[in-house]
Amino acid sequence: MRHLKPLNARARQKATSSAPDAEEVVTMAGVAGCVTTFDPGWEVDASGGLSSLCQPMEADLYGCSDPCWWPAQVPDTMVTYPDWNAKAPSAAQDWRQLQSVFPKKSG
Amino acid sequence: MNNRSIAYIGAGIAALIIVIALVSMQFGGHHGQTTLAGGKDYIVVGTKPNKLFLVDPAARKVVQQYTIPGEGSPFTIDTSPDGRIAYVLTESMNAISGIDLDTGKQVFRAEFSTPEERVRSIGGFAVSPDGKEIFVQESAAKLLPSEYVVEPARVAVYRTDAGLNAKPARTFEIPRRVIMLIPSTNGKILYAMGWDMYALDPQNGHIISTKPILHWNRPNASPPDILDVWPLYERSQVFSTAYFYTRTDIAPDKPGFAKTGILTLDLKTGVMKMRDFEDTSAVIFSTVVDPTDHDRVFGAFYTLSKIDLAKGRLAQRVDLPHSYYAINVSSDGKELYLGGTMNDLEIYSASTMKKLGDIKLPGGADMAASSLRVIHR
Repeated sequence: MRHLKPLNARARQKATSSAPDAEEVVTMAGVAGCVTTFDPGWEVDASGGLSSLCQPMEADLYGCSDPCWWPAQVPDTMVTYPDWNAKAPSAAQDWRQLQSVFPKKSG
Repeated sequence: MNNRSIAYIGAGIAALIIVIALVSMQFGGHHGQTTLAGGKDYIVVGTKPNKLFLVDPAARKVVQQYTIPGEGSPFTIDTSPDGRIAYVLTESMNAISGIDLDTGKQVFRAEFSTPEERVRSIGGFAVSPDGKEIFVQESAAKLLPSEYVVEPARVAVYRTDAGLNAKPARTFEIPRRVIMLIPSTNGKILYAMGWDMYALDPQNGHIISTKPILHWNRPNASPPDILDVWPLYERSQVFSTAYFYTRTDIAPDKPGFAKTGILTLDLKTGVMKMRDFEDTSAVIFSTVVDPTDHDRVFGAFYTLSKIDLAKGRLAQRVDLPHSYYAINVSSDGKELYLGGTMNDLEIYSASTMKKLGDIKLPGGADMAASSLRVIHR
Protein backbone atom coordinates (compact mmCIF):
# COMPACT_ATOMS: atom_id res chain seq x y z
CA MET A 1 0.00 0.00 0.00
CA ARG A 2 2.87 2.41 0.63
CA HIS A 3 3.47 2.61 -3.11
CA LEU A 4 -0.14 3.53 -3.82
CA LYS A 5 -1.49 7.06 -3.71
CA PRO A 6 -5.18 7.75 -3.29
CA LEU A 7 -6.37 9.68 -6.32
CA ASN A 8 -9.97 10.52 -5.51
CA ALA A 9 -12.10 11.46 -2.51
CA ARG A 10 -13.33 7.95 -1.86
CA ALA A 11 -9.82 6.50 -1.96
CA ARG A 12 -8.53 9.23 0.38
CA GLN A 13 -11.37 8.50 2.78
CA LYS A 14 -10.51 4.82 2.67
CA ALA A 15 -6.81 5.48 3.22
CA THR A 16 -7.39 7.59 6.29
CA SER A 17 -10.23 5.52 7.71
CA SER A 18 -9.80 3.82 11.04
CA ALA A 19 -12.55 1.35 10.19
CA PRO A 20 -11.58 -2.33 10.36
CA ASP A 21 -10.96 -4.37 7.25
CA ALA A 22 -13.93 -5.74 5.40
CA GLU A 23 -15.69 -8.69 6.95
CA GLU A 24 -17.40 -11.54 5.22
CA VAL A 25 -20.20 -10.43 2.92
CA VAL A 26 -23.61 -11.78 3.84
CA THR A 27 -27.04 -11.24 2.40
CA MET A 28 -29.61 -8.94 3.90
CA ALA A 29 -32.34 -10.43 6.04
CA GLY A 30 -34.97 -9.22 3.64
CA VAL A 31 -35.48 -6.65 0.97
CA ALA A 32 -34.01 -3.45 2.36
CA GLY A 33 -32.95 -0.89 -0.15
CA CYS A 34 -33.07 -1.40 -3.84
CA VAL A 35 -29.62 -2.91 -4.23
CA THR A 36 -30.78 -6.00 -2.36
CA THR A 37 -33.67 -6.79 -4.65
CA PHE A 38 -33.11 -9.07 -7.58
CA ASP A 39 -36.58 -9.27 -9.00
CA PRO A 40 -36.44 -8.69 -12.73
CA GLY A 41 -38.87 -5.79 -12.65
CA TRP A 42 -42.17 -5.77 -14.50
CA GLU A 43 -43.03 -9.33 -13.88
CA VAL A 44 -44.64 -12.06 -15.86
CA ASP A 45 -47.02 -14.45 -14.20
CA ALA A 46 -46.52 -18.15 -13.68
CA SER A 47 -47.68 -18.89 -17.20
CA GLY A 48 -45.37 -16.33 -18.77
CA GLY A 49 -48.23 -13.94 -19.41
CA LEU A 50 -49.65 -10.84 -17.79
CA SER A 51 -53.21 -11.80 -16.86
CA SER A 52 -52.38 -12.85 -13.30
CA LEU A 53 -50.50 -9.67 -12.48
CA CYS A 54 -51.88 -6.65 -10.72
CA GLN A 55 -54.57 -4.92 -12.76
CA PRO A 56 -54.19 -2.20 -13.84
CA MET A 57 -50.43 -1.86 -13.55
CA GLU A 58 -50.89 1.54 -11.88
CA ALA A 59 -52.60 -0.18 -8.94
CA ASP A 60 -49.37 -2.00 -8.24
CA LEU A 61 -46.86 0.77 -8.93
CA TYR A 62 -46.34 2.21 -5.46
CA GLY A 63 -46.99 -0.97 -3.54
CA CYS A 64 -44.04 -2.42 -5.42
CA SER A 65 -41.78 0.57 -5.94
CA ASP A 66 -41.89 1.85 -2.34
CA PRO A 67 -40.43 -1.39 -0.94
CA CYS A 68 -38.06 -1.55 -3.93
CA TRP A 69 -39.64 -4.49 -5.66
CA TRP A 70 -38.79 -3.14 -9.10
CA PRO A 71 -35.29 -1.74 -8.65
CA ALA A 72 -34.28 -1.67 -12.27
CA GLN A 73 -37.38 0.09 -13.56
CA VAL A 74 -38.24 2.73 -10.98
CA PRO A 75 -36.12 4.90 -8.70
CA ASP A 76 -35.14 3.82 -5.23
CA THR A 77 -37.66 5.77 -3.17
CA MET A 78 -36.64 4.00 0.02
CA VAL A 79 -33.25 5.70 0.29
CA THR A 80 -31.96 7.66 -2.69
CA TYR A 81 -34.95 9.34 -4.36
CA PRO A 82 -37.64 9.54 -1.67
CA ASP A 83 -39.49 12.32 -3.50
CA TRP A 84 -39.78 10.59 -6.86
CA ASN A 85 -43.56 10.21 -6.62
CA ALA A 86 -44.25 13.15 -4.29
CA LYS A 87 -46.18 14.97 -7.04
CA ALA A 88 -48.07 11.88 -8.07
CA PRO A 89 -50.04 10.54 -5.08
CA SER A 90 -52.36 8.65 -7.43
CA ALA A 91 -50.42 6.58 -9.93
CA ALA A 92 -53.42 6.20 -12.25
CA GLN A 93 -54.20 9.93 -12.27
CA ASP A 94 -50.78 11.50 -11.90
CA TRP A 95 -48.41 9.19 -13.77
CA ARG A 96 -47.36 11.98 -16.10
CA GLN A 97 -45.63 13.59 -13.12
CA LEU A 98 -43.33 10.61 -12.71
CA GLN A 99 -40.00 11.47 -14.23
CA SER A 100 -36.62 9.87 -14.77
CA VAL A 101 -33.96 10.47 -12.16
CA PHE A 102 -30.24 10.95 -12.59
CA PRO A 103 -27.39 10.49 -10.12
CA LYS A 104 -26.25 13.72 -8.53
CA LYS A 105 -22.65 14.66 -9.12
CA SER A 106 -20.63 14.16 -5.98
CA GLY A 107 -17.64 16.26 -5.07
CA MET B 1 -79.11 45.67 -5.54
CA ASN B 2 -82.43 45.40 -3.72
CA ASN B 3 -83.16 43.88 -0.33
CA ARG B 4 -84.44 40.68 -1.90
CA SER B 5 -81.16 40.15 -3.76
CA ILE B 6 -79.19 40.81 -0.61
CA ALA B 7 -81.35 38.28 1.22
CA TYR B 8 -80.69 35.67 -1.50
CA ILE B 9 -76.94 36.35 -1.39
CA GLY B 10 -76.97 36.18 2.40
CA ALA B 11 -78.81 32.90 2.36
CA GLY B 12 -76.42 31.58 -0.29
CA ILE B 13 -73.35 32.54 1.78
CA ALA B 14 -74.88 30.95 4.87
CA ALA B 15 -75.60 27.74 2.96
CA LEU B 16 -72.05 27.74 1.58
CA ILE B 17 -70.60 28.15 5.07
CA ILE B 18 -72.71 25.24 6.31
CA VAL B 19 -71.62 23.05 3.39
CA ILE B 20 -67.94 23.94 3.92
CA ALA B 21 -68.30 23.23 7.63
CA LEU B 22 -69.92 19.86 6.99
CA VAL B 23 -67.34 18.89 4.39
CA SER B 24 -64.44 19.94 6.61
CA MET B 25 -65.93 17.99 9.51
CA GLN B 26 -66.08 14.92 7.33
CA PHE B 27 -62.97 15.22 5.22
CA GLY B 28 -60.85 17.99 6.61
CA GLY B 29 -57.80 17.84 8.80
CA HIS B 30 -58.26 16.70 12.34
CA HIS B 31 -60.51 19.07 14.31
CA GLY B 32 -60.24 18.44 18.01
CA GLN B 33 -61.68 15.50 19.82
CA THR B 34 -63.22 12.67 17.84
CA THR B 35 -66.29 11.14 19.44
CA LEU B 36 -66.93 7.63 18.22
CA ALA B 37 -70.09 5.63 18.66
CA GLY B 38 -69.43 2.68 20.95
CA GLY B 39 -69.51 -1.00 20.03
CA LYS B 40 -68.73 -0.53 16.35
CA ASP B 41 -66.12 -1.54 13.83
CA TYR B 42 -63.89 1.09 12.29
CA ILE B 43 -61.33 0.73 9.53
CA VAL B 44 -57.88 2.29 9.90
CA VAL B 45 -56.03 2.75 6.62
CA GLY B 46 -53.46 5.09 5.09
CA THR B 47 -52.77 6.73 1.74
CA LYS B 48 -50.00 8.67 0.14
CA PRO B 49 -48.39 11.02 0.86
CA ASN B 50 -48.74 10.63 4.66
CA LYS B 51 -52.44 10.41 5.49
CA LEU B 52 -54.23 8.15 7.89
CA PHE B 53 -58.00 7.64 7.85
CA LEU B 54 -60.60 6.38 10.27
CA VAL B 55 -63.55 4.94 8.39
CA ASP B 56 -67.00 3.96 9.63
CA PRO B 57 -67.83 1.06 7.29
CA ALA B 58 -71.44 0.77 8.45
CA ALA B 59 -72.07 4.42 7.56
CA ARG B 60 -69.90 4.03 4.45
CA LYS B 61 -67.96 7.19 5.22
CA VAL B 62 -64.67 8.55 6.44
CA VAL B 63 -65.12 9.94 9.93
CA GLN B 64 -61.67 11.39 10.49
CA GLN B 65 -58.36 11.95 8.76
CA TYR B 66 -54.93 12.56 10.19
CA THR B 67 -51.61 13.76 8.86
CA ILE B 68 -48.72 11.58 9.92
CA PRO B 69 -45.81 13.86 10.86
CA GLY B 70 -42.77 13.60 8.63
CA GLU B 71 -42.25 12.32 5.12
CA GLY B 72 -43.08 8.99 3.61
CA SER B 73 -46.10 6.86 2.89
CA PRO B 74 -47.89 4.72 5.47
CA PHE B 75 -47.05 1.05 5.23
CA THR B 76 -47.87 -1.45 7.99
CA ILE B 77 -50.42 -0.31 10.60
CA ASP B 78 -51.19 -1.82 13.98
CA THR B 79 -53.33 -0.46 16.78
CA SER B 80 -53.37 -0.44 20.56
CA PRO B 81 -55.65 -3.11 22.08
CA ASP B 82 -58.25 -0.46 22.95
CA GLY B 83 -58.22 0.85 19.38
CA ARG B 84 -57.27 4.36 20.46
CA ILE B 85 -53.77 4.63 19.00
CA ALA B 86 -52.72 3.67 15.49
CA TYR B 87 -49.04 2.87 15.02
CA VAL B 88 -47.91 3.41 11.46
CA LEU B 89 -44.70 2.39 9.72
CA THR B 90 -43.70 5.50 7.79
CA GLU B 91 -40.76 7.62 6.59
CA SER B 92 -39.76 5.08 3.93
CA MET B 93 -39.92 2.27 6.50
CA ASN B 94 -37.55 4.13 8.80
CA ALA B 95 -39.92 5.14 11.60
CA ILE B 96 -43.06 4.26 13.49
CA SER B 97 -45.48 7.02 14.36
CA GLY B 98 -48.21 6.52 16.96
CA ILE B 99 -51.29 8.64 16.29
CA ASP B 100 -53.98 9.11 18.94
CA LEU B 101 -57.17 8.53 16.94
CA ASP B 102 -59.23 10.64 19.34
CA THR B 103 -57.05 13.75 19.44
CA GLY B 104 -55.08 13.38 16.21
CA LYS B 105 -51.84 14.03 18.06
CA GLN B 106 -48.65 12.05 17.59
CA VAL B 107 -48.00 10.32 20.92
CA PHE B 108 -45.20 7.96 19.89
CA ARG B 109 -42.30 8.18 17.48
CA ALA B 110 -39.36 5.87 16.94
CA GLU B 111 -36.74 6.57 14.28
CA PHE B 112 -34.72 3.48 13.48
CA SER B 113 -31.62 4.78 11.69
CA THR B 114 -28.63 6.67 13.04
CA PRO B 115 -25.79 8.39 11.16
CA GLU B 116 -23.75 5.20 11.52
CA GLU B 117 -26.44 2.66 10.79
CA ARG B 118 -29.15 2.52 8.13
CA VAL B 119 -32.17 0.59 9.34
CA ARG B 120 -35.41 -0.31 7.63
CA SER B 121 -38.34 -2.39 8.75
CA ILE B 122 -39.88 -4.23 5.86
CA GLY B 123 -43.34 -4.23 7.29
CA GLY B 124 -42.92 -6.57 10.22
CA PHE B 125 -44.10 -4.92 13.39
CA ALA B 126 -46.75 -5.64 15.96
CA VAL B 127 -48.10 -4.19 19.18
CA SER B 128 -48.13 -6.57 22.15
CA PRO B 129 -51.60 -7.70 23.28
CA ASP B 130 -51.24 -5.68 26.51
CA GLY B 131 -50.41 -2.58 24.48
CA LYS B 132 -47.18 -1.91 26.36
CA GLU B 133 -44.61 -2.86 23.71
CA ILE B 134 -44.00 -2.70 19.98
CA PHE B 135 -41.97 -5.39 18.24
CA VAL B 136 -40.20 -4.19 15.09
CA GLN B 137 -38.42 -6.37 12.56
CA GLU B 138 -35.28 -4.47 11.60
CA SER B 139 -32.93 -4.95 8.70
CA ALA B 140 -29.79 -2.94 9.42
CA ALA B 141 -26.53 -2.08 7.71
CA LYS B 142 -23.54 -0.27 9.19
CA LEU B 143 -22.40 2.57 6.97
CA LEU B 144 -18.63 2.40 6.82
CA PRO B 145 -16.50 4.71 4.66
CA SER B 146 -16.17 2.29 1.77
CA GLU B 147 -18.68 -0.42 2.44
CA TYR B 148 -21.95 -1.37 4.05
CA VAL B 149 -21.82 -4.16 6.59
CA VAL B 150 -24.99 -6.16 6.90
CA GLU B 151 -25.91 -6.75 10.52
CA PRO B 152 -27.81 -9.70 11.93
CA ALA B 153 -31.54 -9.70 11.47
CA ARG B 154 -33.14 -8.49 14.67
CA VAL B 155 -36.21 -7.36 16.51
CA ALA B 156 -36.19 -4.05 18.35
CA VAL B 157 -38.67 -3.76 21.21
CA TYR B 158 -40.00 -0.32 22.08
CA ARG B 159 -42.15 0.63 25.04
CA THR B 160 -45.29 2.39 23.85
CA ASP B 161 -44.92 4.97 26.65
CA ALA B 162 -41.46 5.97 25.40
CA GLY B 163 -42.74 9.19 23.83
CA LEU B 164 -41.60 10.98 20.68
CA ASN B 165 -37.94 10.04 20.78
CA ALA B 166 -38.33 6.36 21.56
CA LYS B 167 -35.27 4.13 21.72
CA PRO B 168 -35.38 0.34 21.84
CA ALA B 169 -35.82 -1.08 25.34
CA ARG B 170 -34.11 -4.24 24.11
CA THR B 171 -33.17 -5.99 20.89
CA PHE B 172 -32.65 -9.62 19.97
CA GLU B 173 -31.52 -11.48 16.90
CA ILE B 174 -33.98 -13.45 14.80
CA PRO B 175 -33.55 -15.82 11.86
CA ARG B 176 -32.98 -14.13 8.53
CA ARG B 177 -35.81 -13.57 6.04
CA VAL B 178 -38.44 -12.89 8.70
CA ILE B 179 -40.97 -10.31 7.58
CA MET B 180 -44.12 -10.97 9.60
CA LEU B 181 -44.25 -10.61 13.39
CA ILE B 182 -47.45 -11.87 15.03
CA PRO B 183 -48.04 -12.00 18.80
CA SER B 184 -50.02 -14.85 20.31
CA THR B 185 -53.29 -13.77 21.89
CA ASN B 186 -51.91 -14.13 25.41
CA GLY B 187 -48.69 -12.32 24.53
CA LYS B 188 -46.43 -15.16 25.64
CA ILE B 189 -45.20 -16.00 22.13
CA LEU B 190 -44.05 -13.81 19.28
CA TYR B 191 -44.48 -15.67 16.01
CA ALA B 192 -42.01 -14.73 13.30
CA MET B 193 -42.72 -15.96 9.79
CA GLY B 194 -39.80 -16.45 7.46
CA TRP B 195 -38.78 -19.63 5.75
CA ASP B 196 -40.49 -21.36 8.67
CA MET B 197 -42.78 -20.21 11.47
CA TYR B 198 -40.66 -19.50 14.52
CA ALA B 199 -42.27 -19.24 17.96
CA LEU B 200 -40.10 -16.78 19.87
CA ASP B 201 -39.91 -15.79 23.51
CA PRO B 202 -40.87 -12.09 23.28
CA GLN B 203 -38.52 -11.25 26.12
CA ASN B 204 -35.28 -12.46 24.54
CA GLY B 205 -36.02 -13.92 21.13
CA HIS B 206 -35.18 -17.50 22.08
CA ILE B 207 -36.75 -19.90 19.60
CA ILE B 208 -39.24 -21.98 21.57
CA SER B 209 -40.29 -24.08 18.61
CA THR B 210 -40.20 -24.07 14.83
CA LYS B 211 -43.11 -25.06 12.64
CA PRO B 212 -41.84 -25.99 9.18
CA ILE B 213 -43.05 -24.12 6.10
CA LEU B 214 -40.29 -24.15 3.48
CA HIS B 215 -38.84 -27.23 5.16
CA TRP B 216 -42.05 -29.21 5.13
CA ASN B 217 -41.61 -32.86 4.22
CA ARG B 218 -44.74 -33.26 2.18
CA PRO B 219 -44.12 -36.01 -0.41
CA ASN B 220 -44.08 -35.12 -4.10
CA ALA B 221 -44.19 -31.41 -3.34
CA SER B 222 -41.84 -28.52 -4.00
CA PRO B 223 -41.13 -26.12 -1.14
CA PRO B 224 -44.11 -23.77 -0.81
CA ASP B 225 -43.88 -20.13 -1.83
CA ILE B 226 -45.39 -17.38 0.33
CA LEU B 227 -45.55 -13.62 -0.08
CA ASP B 228 -47.12 -11.83 2.86
CA VAL B 229 -46.69 -8.41 4.42
CA TRP B 230 -50.29 -7.92 5.54
CA PRO B 231 -51.12 -8.44 9.21
CA LEU B 232 -54.88 -8.99 9.03
CA TYR B 233 -55.72 -11.34 11.86
CA GLU B 234 -57.15 -9.06 14.56
CA ARG B 235 -60.83 -9.95 14.25
CA SER B 236 -60.42 -13.74 14.28
CA GLN B 237 -57.12 -14.13 16.16
CA VAL B 238 -56.12 -16.55 13.41
CA PHE B 239 -53.27 -15.54 11.12
CA SER B 240 -53.60 -16.78 7.56
CA THR B 241 -51.68 -16.61 4.33
CA ALA B 242 -51.85 -18.27 0.93
CA TYR B 243 -49.10 -20.64 -0.20
CA PHE B 244 -48.30 -22.02 -3.61
CA TYR B 245 -46.29 -25.07 -4.65
CA THR B 246 -45.90 -27.52 -7.47
CA ARG B 247 -46.13 -31.29 -7.54
CA THR B 248 -42.95 -33.13 -8.42
CA ASP B 249 -44.85 -36.23 -9.58
CA ILE B 250 -47.06 -34.45 -12.10
CA ALA B 251 -45.93 -33.05 -15.44
CA PRO B 252 -46.02 -29.25 -15.65
CA ASP B 253 -48.54 -29.35 -18.50
CA LYS B 254 -50.97 -31.59 -16.59
CA PRO B 255 -53.84 -30.47 -14.34
CA GLY B 256 -52.97 -30.55 -10.68
CA PHE B 257 -49.32 -29.58 -11.20
CA ALA B 258 -49.60 -26.24 -9.33
CA LYS B 259 -51.47 -26.14 -6.03
CA THR B 260 -52.75 -23.36 -3.79
CA GLY B 261 -53.44 -23.68 -0.10
CA ILE B 262 -53.98 -21.64 3.01
CA LEU B 263 -51.71 -21.58 6.04
CA THR B 264 -53.58 -20.82 9.25
CA LEU B 265 -52.02 -20.17 12.64
CA ASP B 266 -54.44 -20.03 15.55
CA LEU B 267 -53.01 -17.37 17.85
CA LYS B 268 -54.89 -18.74 20.86
CA THR B 269 -53.94 -22.41 20.54
CA GLY B 270 -50.74 -22.21 18.47
CA VAL B 271 -52.05 -24.82 16.02
CA MET B 272 -50.73 -24.25 12.51
CA LYS B 273 -52.24 -25.99 9.48
CA MET B 274 -51.38 -25.89 5.79
CA ARG B 275 -54.37 -27.04 3.76
CA ASP B 276 -54.66 -27.14 -0.04
CA PHE B 277 -57.91 -26.00 -1.59
CA GLU B 278 -57.44 -25.79 -5.37
CA ASP B 279 -55.27 -26.35 -8.38
CA THR B 280 -53.72 -22.92 -8.75
CA SER B 281 -56.06 -20.77 -10.79
CA ALA B 282 -55.70 -17.31 -9.25
CA VAL B 283 -53.08 -15.33 -7.40
CA ILE B 284 -54.05 -14.41 -3.85
CA PHE B 285 -52.14 -11.64 -2.07
CA SER B 286 -53.78 -11.44 1.32
CA THR B 287 -56.30 -13.50 3.25
CA VAL B 288 -58.49 -13.13 6.31
CA VAL B 289 -60.22 -15.73 8.49
CA ASP B 290 -63.93 -15.47 9.24
CA PRO B 291 -64.23 -14.62 12.97
CA THR B 292 -67.34 -16.82 13.19
CA ASP B 293 -65.96 -19.84 11.32
CA HIS B 294 -62.22 -20.39 11.37
CA ASP B 295 -62.43 -22.88 8.49
CA ARG B 296 -63.75 -20.15 6.21
CA VAL B 297 -61.13 -17.88 4.67
CA PHE B 298 -61.41 -15.02 2.21
CA GLY B 299 -58.61 -14.06 -0.16
CA ALA B 300 -58.10 -11.07 -2.43
CA PHE B 301 -56.06 -9.78 -5.32
CA TYR B 302 -57.82 -9.29 -8.65
CA THR B 303 -60.47 -11.76 -7.57
CA LEU B 304 -62.26 -12.27 -4.27
CA SER B 305 -62.23 -15.88 -3.10
CA LYS B 306 -64.24 -17.66 -0.45
CA ILE B 307 -62.42 -20.77 0.68
CA ASP B 308 -63.88 -23.69 2.61
CA LEU B 309 -60.93 -25.25 4.41
CA ALA B 310 -63.07 -27.88 6.16
CA LYS B 311 -63.90 -29.36 2.76
CA GLY B 312 -60.66 -28.26 1.12
CA ARG B 313 -62.32 -26.47 -1.75
CA LEU B 314 -62.94 -23.09 -3.31
CA ALA B 315 -66.49 -22.14 -2.35
CA GLN B 316 -66.90 -19.05 -4.51
CA ARG B 317 -64.86 -16.59 -6.55
CA VAL B 318 -65.86 -13.26 -8.07
CA ASP B 319 -63.95 -10.71 -10.14
CA LEU B 320 -62.98 -7.38 -8.58
CA PRO B 321 -62.91 -3.93 -10.24
CA HIS B 322 -59.11 -3.90 -10.00
CA SER B 323 -56.40 -5.47 -7.87
CA TYR B 324 -56.55 -5.06 -4.10
CA TYR B 325 -53.71 -6.04 -1.80
CA ALA B 326 -55.49 -6.16 1.52
CA ILE B 327 -58.68 -7.81 2.75
CA ASN B 328 -60.25 -7.62 6.18
CA VAL B 329 -63.53 -8.61 7.76
CA SER B 330 -66.12 -7.15 10.14
CA SER B 331 -66.31 -8.47 13.68
CA ASP B 332 -69.54 -10.33 12.90
CA GLY B 333 -68.05 -11.89 9.78
CA LYS B 334 -70.76 -10.45 7.54
CA GLU B 335 -68.83 -7.82 5.57
CA LEU B 336 -65.50 -7.93 3.75
CA TYR B 337 -63.35 -4.83 3.29
CA LEU B 338 -60.93 -4.54 0.40
CA GLY B 339 -58.21 -1.92 0.15
CA GLY B 340 -54.64 -1.21 -0.71
CA THR B 341 -53.33 -0.40 -4.22
CA MET B 342 -55.58 2.50 -5.37
CA ASN B 343 -57.94 4.89 -3.57
CA ASP B 344 -61.21 3.03 -3.13
CA LEU B 345 -62.28 0.83 -0.24
CA GLU B 346 -64.70 -1.84 -1.41
CA ILE B 347 -67.30 -3.53 0.78
CA TYR B 348 -68.57 -7.00 -0.13
CA SER B 349 -71.03 -9.36 1.47
CA ALA B 350 -69.29 -12.40 2.95
CA SER B 351 -72.33 -14.57 2.29
CA THR B 352 -73.33 -13.56 -1.23
CA MET B 353 -69.95 -12.14 -2.34
CA LYS B 354 -71.87 -9.25 -3.91
CA LYS B 355 -70.64 -5.68 -3.68
CA LEU B 356 -72.39 -3.68 -0.97
CA GLY B 357 -70.67 -0.34 -1.39
CA ASP B 358 -67.46 1.58 -1.75
CA ILE B 359 -65.76 4.51 -0.10
CA LYS B 360 -63.42 6.91 -1.87
CA LEU B 361 -60.73 8.17 0.46
CA PRO B 362 -60.33 11.96 0.55
CA GLY B 363 -57.52 13.31 -1.58
CA GLY B 364 -57.69 10.58 -4.18
CA ALA B 365 -54.24 9.21 -3.32
CA ASP B 366 -53.19 5.58 -3.48
CA MET B 367 -53.24 3.32 -0.44
CA ALA B 368 -50.41 1.33 -2.06
CA ALA B 369 -49.14 -1.20 0.50
CA SER B 370 -50.90 0.29 3.53
CA SER B 371 -52.40 -2.19 5.97
CA LEU B 372 -56.16 -2.19 6.36
CA ARG B 373 -56.96 -2.82 10.01
CA VAL B 374 -60.37 -3.22 11.61
CA ILE B 375 -60.73 -2.01 15.17
CA HIS B 376 -63.75 -2.48 17.41
CA ARG B 377 -64.48 0.18 20.00
